[in-house]
Amino acid sequence: MGRRSLGAKMRLGYGVFGVLMAIELVEYAVGTRVRSGNWPYLAVLAVIGAWPILAYFMHIRQLRKGEE
Amino acid sequence: MAATTHQEQRLDLHRLGLWMFIFSESFLFLALLSTRYYLQGVQRPAEVNQPLGLAISMVLLLSSLSAYRGETCAAYGDQRGFRRNILFTMGLGLLFLVGVAVEWYEGFHFFPPSAGYGTVFFTLTGFHAFHVLTGLLVLAAVLVRGRKVQYGPGNYWGVEGAVKYWHFVDVAWVFIYPTLYLVS
Repeated sequence: MGRRSLGAKMRLGYGVFGVLMAIELVEYAVGTRVRSGNWPYLAVLAVIGAWPILAYFMHIRQLRKGEE
Repeated sequence: MAATTHQEQRLDLHRLGLWMFIFSESFLFLALLSTRYYLQGVQRPAEVNQPLGLAISMVLLLSSLSAYRGETCAAYGDQRGFRRNILFTMGLGLLFLVGVAVEWYEGFHFFPPSAGYGTVFFTLTGFHAFHVLTGLLVLAAVLVRGRKVQYGPGNYWGVEGAVKYWHFVDVAWVFIYPTLYLVS
């Protein structure tokens, strides 16, 4: 699973989780406060939110580079 | 050396197979998501419970963190950490399903499945909940297997595959949540 230490991997997980929670809250604020025409913002936020999961939790780069 | 290379090649093939499966599954979700916009545009009933949607989204994101922790523990041979985190993930998955059940209970009153938005809502959340349920079964399987097999470096593909699937279910929800609860 890569060369980093266990502690560094865990810290990375917490960092990614923090980013995801922040995006989720921004998304909620946009969805509840921007009453009309909010879909472009939400679409961008959803893509931004999905990327950290794909990159850091699902290790999508392994497909190209092997072990991260 | 040759054995290691063979093992690495097998792992690469396992990963490729799983990613192809995930890729094909994502098309099913994309089709259902596009149905929402095709049938309903960006209209949404005022009765949709947005705070509950946010709460269950956070539960699912937290479950992704614990699944990641479980996989990392398995990769480093920490059996206790693996079991604890996967069990916690499963608990959060069950909590998410309870939240969806509450949403369904409310949904039947305000936008029944026979109504336009109800059709989309119940199909999307139902299809996703089914994936959460299968994810729970797969996690349970690796947990049971962990009693017989010691997961460790180079021997945790089962955990990695199950956890990747769990994260995929989370990614799908990242798109479903704004589509059903927030877009207007």
